[in-house]
Amino acid sequence: MSITKLRPHAVPPLEVGEMAIAALLSNKLRSGLTMLGVIIGISSVIGISSIGQGVQKSTEESLRGLGTDILQVMAGEAESGGISQGQGSVSTLTWEDAQAIAEQAPSATVVSAYLQRSAQVVYGAENTTTTVYGTDLNFPEANNTFPATGRFFNEEELDAAASVVVIAPTVQENLFPPNVDPIGETIRIQGEVYDVIGVMEEKGAQGPMDRDDAVYIPLTAMSARIIGNNSLMGTSVNGIYLKGEDESQLEALQFQAENILRLRHDIDVPENDDFRISNQADILETLNTILGLLTGMIVAVAGISLVVGGIGIANIMLVSVVERTREIGIRKALGATDSTILNQFLTESIVISGAGGVVGIVLGVGITFVAANLFSFAFVISGGAVLAGFGLSTAVGLIAGVVPARNAAKLDPIDALRSD
Amino acid sequence: MITLENIVKHYRLGDVDVPVLKGINLHVEAGEYVSIMGASGSGKSTLMNIIGCLDRPTQGSYHLENRDLTTLDKDGLAYIRNQYLGFVFQQFNLLSRLTALENVMLPMVYAGISKTDRRDRAAAALVKVGLGDRITNRPSQLSGGQQQRVAIARALVNQPSLLLADEPTGALDTKTSKDVMALFHDLHDQGITIVVITHDSDVAEQTKRKIHIQDGLIID
Repeated sequence: MSITKLRPHAVPPLEVGEMAIAALLSNKLRSGLTMLGVIIGISSVIGISSIGQGVQKSTEESLRGLGTDILQVMAGEAESGGISQGQGSVSTLTWEDAQAIAEQAPSATVVSAYLQRSAQVVYGAENTTTTVYGTDLNFPEANNTFPATGRFFNEEELDAAASVVVIAPTVQENLFPPNVDPIGETIRIQGEVYDVIGVMEEKGAQGPMDRDDAVYIPLTAMSARIIGNNSLMGTSVNGIYLKGEDESQLEALQFQAENILRLRHDIDVPENDDFRISNQADILETLNTILGLLTGMIVAVAGISLVVGGIGIANIMLVSVVERTREIGIRKALGATDSTILNQFLTESIVISGAGGVVGIVLGVGITFVAANLFSFAFVISGGAVLAGFGLSTAVGLIAGVVPARNAAKLDPIDALRSD
Repeated sequence: MITLENIVKHYRLGDVDVPVLKGINLHVEAGEYVSIMGASGSGKSTLMNIIGCLDRPTQGSYHLENRDLTTLDKDGLAYIRNQYLGFVFQQFNLLSRLTALENVMLPMVYAGISKTDRRDRAAAALVKVGLGDRITNRPSQLSGGQQQRVAIARALVNQPSLLLADEPTGALDTKTSKDVMALFHDLHDQGITIVVITHDSDVAEQTKRKIHIQDGLIID
């Protein structure tokens, strides 16, 4: 009978795993410290990518709350001696421009112009600094923001430049005690007295702008009393909101508005535009790009710590193989094949890294949960990220273990048994 | 049982071939109790490594139970070590992390024996060498003589054809040496084939057949 093809029994993977865990538990401190590198790497990758996704989701939701079917025309930057004064600082847009777009742009369904200043608002002994919007009747519809109690001002009040004001929730909170209904009360804006006729609904902070920290007065009143201009024609405005039928109409609407404004402003080439049109979708896209880029960069840095963790595992495994040379010799003398020894050490490396990965995932999810509650953004954990984290840590262990495990498998049993 | 014919072993030292075994012919019958004696440098360790399938001869043939082992690859030799051979070393070579029971179970892990069978057989083997009450002790909690008896239990647990002992009493005091040699006697009486490699003539005296090796050749 030929025994040239004799093969010893292969030790089942589960049992190799048990052997690996027993070996790792026999030196807990070393195993723990070795795992730490992977734990830090995986928890930062999971944590940062999840935090990035959560912030992205929250930003997107709040921007969508404003409506994505809206365009914003901003007055161009005024230059003074070659120095830019900032967007909307001195207006190149007028009330007439808004009227012209409303009349001439077929895709425009709502047009609303506004003036905007930061000003102090006073009620009794309380005062707060907020953004004062002078606007027209279309503002609520254009911005998807309506009074929760009371009402917005009407045409009569707009024409008469009436001293009426609609306040937003943050201003109410800052000025009025909880038991006082602001409607019917009077507040002073830059010394002038205004009757409060409504309180807007709460919208939440919308990225850079906070619709809840604002007061709204008729554009005419703003122009006459705060800016100092009595005629509506030729009144500067800081911006114009344009609303289309739906999102698909925005491109056409933007094209129409651009052409109307260029005609009115005698602009022949787009480079000379003294206005800028942006839409929420663009802003959303830009924000997402920036956030994605930032997240990606930080995750890449976290990934480096994972590589460092992998090097730590490789290092410890190499030391472990040298220390256990005699054990390897004994196992071989008792019938362990090269591949069994290879599997044993490779499994140790994978187990230590995989266990680090699991702890890292739990830690990363925990960090995300705490951060999401602390900074109030959406708590998002993607299954993909968790799977990738686990896969990555296992792969790190596999790669780190290859060379030490091969060294162990290749040991000559005679030399190994002779070592101290 | 084992038959070695014209076994030659050379080691390469730099550019020179150093002959260590120069043509060994040896036949051991089943149930024999043999000692191989020689001074250090005589080639007895090399011979023991070849008999133990830890090394291959440069020339010659080696048959174990009528099977030619010289054609086997590494995995085949591992199989032979696991199934047909039991090793007892001078330094015991137990794994310090494992209990006596787990050490004895180790060869059966590589033999693919189920866990419960492993446990039962290892416990029985430890009882046989008189350590039934020490199965949960680690090597560091055992005396030298006890450790060597654990090693003997481990060597026998896969029911090998041949028990190969390399200076089994070399690390033991006189009294425990006697105990271990007495155990070998018992095993021989039970029909187990034993080959002891030693430089100690007192040990060799207790075996049934003495083989002397000198300069790579058997001299009587």
